[in-house]
Amino acid sequence: MSQLDDLKTAIKSRLGELECVIGWEQGYDPLHATPLFIRSEADLDRLIIGPLAVHNLATYLTGYKGKKVGVVVKGCDSKSVVQLLNEKLINRDDVVIFGLCCDGVVSQRKIRAALPADPGFVESVEIGGDGMTVTVAGQAATLKFADVQADKCRICTTPDAIVSDVLVGTAHTPAPAASLACQDEFEAKSDAEKLEFWQETMSRCIRCYACRNACPMCVCRDYCIATSRDPLWLSQDNTPAENMMFQMVHVSHLAGRCTECGECERACPVDIPLMLLRRFMNKQVKDVFEHQAGAALEQTPPLLTFKVEEERINERGW
Amino acid sequence: MRIGVFICHCGSNIAGTVDCPSVAATALKYPDVVFSTDTMYACSEPGQDAIIQAVKEKNLDGVVVASCTPRMHEQTFRRAVERAGLNRYMFEMANIREHVSWIGKTKDLNTGKASELVRMAVEKLRRNRPLTAKRFETTKRVLVIGGGVAGIQAALDCADGGQEVVLVEREQSIGGKMAKLDKTFPTVDCSSCVLGPKMVDIAQHPKITLYTCSEVESVGGYVGNFQVTVRRKATYVDWTKCTGCGLCVEKCPSRKHPDPFNENLCNAPSINIPFPQAIPKKAAINPVSCLMLTKGKCGACAKVCPVKCIDFEQKDELVTVDVGAIVVATGYDLFDWHKYPQYGEGRYKDVITSMQYERLLSASGPTGGHVKRPSDGKEPKNVVFIQCVGSRDKSVNRPYCSGFCCMYTAKQAILTKDHIPDSQSYVFYMDIRSPGKLYDEFTRRAMEEYGAQYVRGRVAMIYPKGDKLIVRGADTLAGTQVEVPADLVVLAVGAEAAKGAVQLGEKLRVAPDQYGFFVESHPKLKPVETNTAGVFLAGACQGPKDIPASVGQGSAAAAKVLGLLSKAMLESDPAVSRVNPARCVGCGKCIQTCPFGAIKEVQDRFGNPKAEVIDTVCQGCGICTVTCPQGAIQLEHFTDNQILAEVNALCPPKMFANYE
Repeated sequence: MSQLDDLKTAIKSRLGELECVIGWEQGYDPLHATPLFIRSEADLDRLIIGPLAVHNLATYLTGYKGKKVGVVVKGCDSKSVVQLLNEKLINRDDVVIFGLCCDGVVSQRKIRAALPADPGFVESVEIGGDGMTVTVAGQAATLKFADVQADKCRICTTPDAIVSDVLVGTAHTPAPAASLACQDEFEAKSDAEKLEFWQETMSRCIRCYACRNACPMCVCRDYCIATSRDPLWLSQDNTPAENMMFQMVHVSHLAGRCTECGECERACPVDIPLMLLRRFMNKQVKDVFEHQAGAALEQTPPLLTFKVEEERINERGW
Repeated sequence: MRIGVFICHCGSNIAGTVDCPSVAATALKYPDVVFSTDTMYACSEPGQDAIIQAVKEKNLDGVVVASCTPRMHEQTFRRAVERAGLNRYMFEMANIREHVSWIGKTKDLNTGKASELVRMAVEKLRRNRPLTAKRFETTKRVLVIGGGVAGIQAALDCADGGQEVVLVEREQSIGGKMAKLDKTFPTVDCSSCVLGPKMVDIAQHPKITLYTCSEVESVGGYVGNFQVTVRRKATYVDWTKCTGCGLCVEKCPSRKHPDPFNENLCNAPSINIPFPQAIPKKAAINPVSCLMLTKGKCGACAKVCPVKCIDFEQKDELVTVDVGAIVVATGYDLFDWHKYPQYGEGRYKDVITSMQYERLLSASGPTGGHVKRPSDGKEPKNVVFIQCVGSRDKSVNRPYCSGFCCMYTAKQAILTKDHIPDSQSYVFYMDIRSPGKLYDEFTRRAMEEYGAQYVRGRVAMIYPKGDKLIVRGADTLAGTQVEVPADLVVLAVGAEAAKGAVQLGEKLRVAPDQYGFFVESHPKLKPVETNTAGVFLAGACQGPKDIPASVGQGSAAAAKVLGLLSKAMLESDPAVSRVNPARCVGCGKCIQTCPFGAIKEVQDRFGNPKAEVIDTVCQGCGICTVTCPQGAIQLEHFTDNQILAEVNALCPPKMFANYE
């Protein structure tokens, strides 16, 4: 049986006890997937998995607080679930985790760049071997997975779900790249160059908050500080400075919590490379606190604890 | 809002480098400021009266005073504002002395900075709102940590003042360092004769509960209502039955462990009463050396004990006490002189510390008061004292003067002559520091009447020659090198912070300085207070002190405690955290980070989890407010909007700047 069939069987056996099971289905065209909320066996037929199933469905879990739901997760998504559990934002008894052994997902942004024409509407997608054939406006283009793979997959250390009730697929031996070229390039910039880079980039931001809404760790939702007057941290001024300030707030609220699922960057309609900030922050957190969000159950994020003296912060020595 | 601004000259302290009238003129342009003036001394009676008069005449509803640090006079001005009929929190202070005039020399830059600080204060004040303190009852009981002479004095004074006292001591007996001393300067009276009665008073006072062999495990709560957990370490002896007869001590066959009370000069039995005057006079077993506890066989003490009080199964016990105030009197420890290569790093048996020498002089010491040197038991004829070992020496990170070594060295030189009339003492010193009543006369007596040879200079090395030690040093007054053949060398080791002081300080939220001594609230005006309300200091835990000063501080701390607990109710600081339940998503992050356990989870009427602050437990540290991602928990008087207003006053957002 294929991985998908295994998954369907597993979901079918648990569906009765659950409010719904969150998975993926084909979206408005064959290239785009969209979340699927499975409530009946009929819905199960629409379930898809594979390289197009990019969404981190853990984002929906906090919305179902108090109800018992199922969720299908890739390795990276499972880290978000772990982090939500560690922060007691969801209850382990209220969630059934269907874990996947993931072969990696695509970056829609990279596919769009690789296609000969603007993919307004994709006619068909055929996935096979080490690539995929995408037909747009009658033209077929063959893309290699290696070229259109999401950045997070290149440095992925956990392709298989690290927490699950049911794990389907064959386990992988992860072979992550040491680092990402885009990250190294960004971090090598001088402060002045970084400022210039963000001024240009943040002038594109339309403050739609898609990055926030897609983030599995952003649980304040309607009470987000970005839209509050008391306290008034941000004005609605659409300037690069205020837009950047919002991102800095977002990043610092995610310090020690961000699992680098990449949903913020994927959701951004104006292609702001938000993961540059996230990865940079995570590196600092790892250096100072030896902490990686979502890496294991029963961890407490360092900024959610109080210690008089941190081992790796020299407060008295200077 | 109508705000009045007062720029204080502080005599020439501020006005010397800040143009105060110009700052006052600038302040008048700030929003809501309707009155602004400069004043010579805002804190003086006419200064305060001027503030009150202005509030009344100009109909002000907020006051900014730009002067010294709020640590100095915030309370003064809050009271003045209150006398004028305003809420005391409708007041802000700009520190233009410590933050401006004392640290900058250029007048126009200073004036500009002072104006900006005033602007910050004005912007903050515009967002202040009246706050009222809550009143709460206090527990009429005092915890004294440390049973040295300072702690004993504090405990007795508090108990005599009518308060219940719990005295916690780490060692088996109270008495501290003073109990180890033979005689005390400048009167050369017997240490145990003057301390002993006080120790007995502790044991007999109906209001004092004594826990020895005990340490403070944790401290919760706040001024007036602390909850302290004390760990009573297992002594393996039931002290309710032990009569202190000492039979077990005589019969104990395990005597291979050094005796810490006698500064390791001799060995102690594994079950022991440290000294004859010990309070409580009860035996305790050292679990490290006891044969029964380490190897499971012996039990000699249990066999001889006439009241059968030996209990090898005894476990540590945790006791919780509720107290209203805490006196910390944890004292000091002696510097470890083995760091110095010039004194032999411990190779020579006849180089000893002053405290070891004290035990050799003491009639209750290992030699019964006969001075015998450790190597061969001979009576020394030439005794060399070396002062400032671990004091006034940056190379070992002890740049401070320990204060009492000059005096006890002179005392020991005098006692040496008393014990061995044909002996000769030499003292290598840097300076003689003997301020204090009868102190200088005392050191002169050592030199003039007892013939101690004082050599001004440091010792470069000590080396053995035959059965003597040659002490080579400089005589800086004669400008020569000297070599003194010594039978015994006594190092006047300095004081350092007691072991574990920093860890205890963390439990009590009392900051240690860079050498581990606790920091007082103000070096001159609040010498026994700490920055944690309800916690007071006594004795050498705050810095090296001799006995009179420690006793004085013990009484001073007791006076502070009695003053605090004499009030029927205390007022809590209203600058505490508050949850806006409409914004709270009940994630509980604040509960996790609060170091005081001041936040609990409650449910609103729809059953949603919400955070709630326990007012009296909250210390206003603000950790919860920076943890809460959506800003639902705010520290009153320091809300995000107030802080942001201050930041924006300093770095105005471009939009506002463009308008000007």
